[in-house]
Amino acid sequence: MPQPSLSAGRAGGTFLLYTLRSGALLLALLWGGCLPGLGQKATRPAAAAAPRPAARLGAAPQAPRAATGRTSVQYAKGFTIAYAGNCKVVTILSPFEQKTTAARYLLVPRGTARPAGYGDCRVIETPIRSLVAMSSMHIALADFLGAADVLVGVGDLKYASAPRVRQRIAEGKIFETGLGKQLNNELLITRHPDLVMTTGWPGEGLNSFQTLSAAGVSVMINSEWVETTPLARAEWVKVLAVLLNKEDLVNKQFDKVAREYQRLITLAQKAARRPSVVVGLPFKDVWYVPDADSYMAQFLRDAGAAYHWDRTKSPSGSLALGFEAVAPVALAAEYWIHTGSLASRAGLLALDARYAAFAPVKTGRVFNNNRRTNTQGANDYWESGALRPDIVLADLIRILHPELLPRGVLHYYQPLK
Amino acid sequence: MITAQYPAGADVQTTPAAGRQVGWLLALVGLVVGAFVLDVALGPVRIPLPTVVRLLLGHAGPDDTAAAFIVNQIRLPKALTALVVGMGLAVSGLQMQTLFRNPLAGPSVLGLTAGAGLGVALVMLAGGSAAGGFAVRELGLSGSWALVLAATAGAALVMLLVLALSARVRDNAVMLIVGLMIASVTGAVVSLWQYFSAPEQIQEYLLWTFGALGGVTGTHLAVLSIVVLAGLVLAFASSKPLNALLLGENYARSLGLNVRASRTLIIASTSLLAGGITAFCGPIGFVGIAVPHLTRALLRTADHRVLLPGASLVGAALVLACDCLAQLPGSQTALPINVVTSLLGAPVVLWVVLRGRNIRSAHS
Repeated sequence: MPQPSLSAGRAGGTFLLYTLRSGALLLALLWGGCLPGLGQKATRPAAAAAPRPAARLGAAPQAPRAATGRTSVQYAKGFTIAYAGNCKVVTILSPFEQKTTAARYLLVPRGTARPAGYGDCRVIETPIRSLVAMSSMHIALADFLGAADVLVGVGDLKYASAPRVRQRIAEGKIFETGLGKQLNNELLITRHPDLVMTTGWPGEGLNSFQTLSAAGVSVMINSEWVETTPLARAEWVKVLAVLLNKEDLVNKQFDKVAREYQRLITLAQKAARRPSVVVGLPFKDVWYVPDADSYMAQFLRDAGAAYHWDRTKSPSGSLALGFEAVAPVALAAEYWIHTGSLASRAGLLALDARYAAFAPVKTGRVFNNNRRTNTQGANDYWESGALRPDIVLADLIRILHPELLPRGVLHYYQPLK
Repeated sequence: MITAQYPAGADVQTTPAAGRQVGWLLALVGLVVGAFVLDVALGPVRIPLPTVVRLLLGHAGPDDTAAAFIVNQIRLPKALTALVVGMGLAVSGLQMQTLFRNPLAGPSVLGLTAGAGLGVALVMLAGGSAAGGFAVRELGLSGSWALVLAATAGAALVMLLVLALSARVRDNAVMLIVGLMIASVTGAVVSLWQYFSAPEQIQEYLLWTFGALGGVTGTHLAVLSIVVLAGLVLAFASSKPLNALLLGENYARSLGLNVRASRTLIIASTSLLAGGITAFCGPIGFVGIAVPHLTRALLRTADHRVLLPGASLVGAALVLACDCLAQLPGSQTALPINVVTSLLGAPVVLWVVLRGRNIRSAHS
């Protein structure tokens, strides 16, 4: 499935990222180290310092009652939001050293003078009126906040599923910026959006947008893919919410998702047994599987599944295992999920006839997350799915414990026929 | 590129040491068998040797489901692939070194590997980025056959080009340059494609370039074996022309050899071997360059009637050994085979270059 790999999460497509990582880390450290710390003022969850966020243990952290027009971070570890007078400070932390500041943004109301101090911050005037989203997940952020009309550009027109966004594309109201090296700087500078939101390492990534920054186009790099729990990943919607002054809306919407997610965790705990699950699709000798700290592993834990690599950690978020190392698990597993872009059993066996020996293939318990793939190949799982972990979890529970959710149908997942 | 002139008039007749060479060949057969068993016995999952032997003999017990799957469906096909790949690449490298009279020639010099890479890039990069590519994938062509067919087509196209040019170009040195230039152009096209592709597509292509012996099973393995066998038959049929070519083209011609026909035969054989192997396993480096040198040093002969079987045995043993090393003991991860062959192969080539004087003696 051709999806922007960064939005594909830590479980997949981190190979290239990994190779770049050490360099990025160094840059982020160098940069972050030079900055004076204002992060102390930021609202950070108390649990963030613990190796496991509270969500991991299945207990809902007590949401501080946010004042009107304010929001706070409960699950995510990759960013902080702080309020100072009528301004806001958004700090994006370096993904791998979550104590290091990678980039800070000062959000000032449009037309207001920049306050003194904050010399190290990039200034963005709020609310932003136009947004360019480079990753499909960022399209979902806007759609989640009912702000699809703010979108004026996306990285690749193909990778959009939200109906409102597709409609705007059809009306010619959204331009294509290109991705990576094909980024059309000239077009972006001409259109001059209020903000370009992209995915990557905040430190290293921003350097590659120097041309845009020099031309006065604000660039913000999100690193939601580094979060280790689905709710933390979805919580990045709050970054866009503060940019749009939609704090009250995001508190309402996100809390709803989080409450439903917690309810489903409790429901899954009632399951009599935890069926074993194998994840992903091998390529030749290598089978990348999510590691213990990936949000995918957290999904499986919360859905009441037994996952073989539940305690194996890897710096890149996924484990590169030999086919032989995964095969014994796949042979005996009860379910197999995330089979690449495949939608049929025949396609799976055409790839490698040996899969026929795996128990899930024999029993027809192979499920993929591509039910909502449109004709252009965009899979909504990577888009709206990132913001609706409650629906993804409901799907997983429906697959693994059908007796717990007897009503309703699968939303993102489908069985391979 | 270093060129070493092979001494004209070198004795390529069977020496009295033929008995010693037969002994060496028998020893090599033993080595290959040993490496094969070792390769099947080793892997990320620990399976006791008696169990492995029992499973290989077809006596699977009730508790052996996972072990039987690993041995019969994963390790055995992989070891067979390693065997076939080693033989094919080594023989094709030997043919190229003799044909081009260049100690650093290998299966990739004709641009065949690069041609196969171009075919694979077409499927992985262009296929994924174009809107039509998605439709192609949905039709089920994304199965492994698409890759194999694309790689074979790429290698075959380059082979046809090389064959057509070789009919016009008389000089083997010019032919070598033509091959390198073809490789360079196809490589540039692939790079350009990569530049304009999404990261995850590049990742897929990168994984292919690492080479893999696994994943070649069932029909694929049968097809690969037939292709390599055909290439080997052609290669063994060319052993006499190869001996004559060692003495230089003019000398070969004066011996009554139809140089052009022989050259076509040799190039066709190499194309089958290198193209087929690259199509199924990706580009696997250094075996083709290093093994012929190792074989000459071991057997101390320049007679291709001995060298060809010798090189195929050494190649098979080397790739099997590399595959054993690729599965780091106690690790759940297997290293890409290309990394291991190159790590082992580069020092061998260095050794060959540094022992420049001995290249001559090894050939004479």
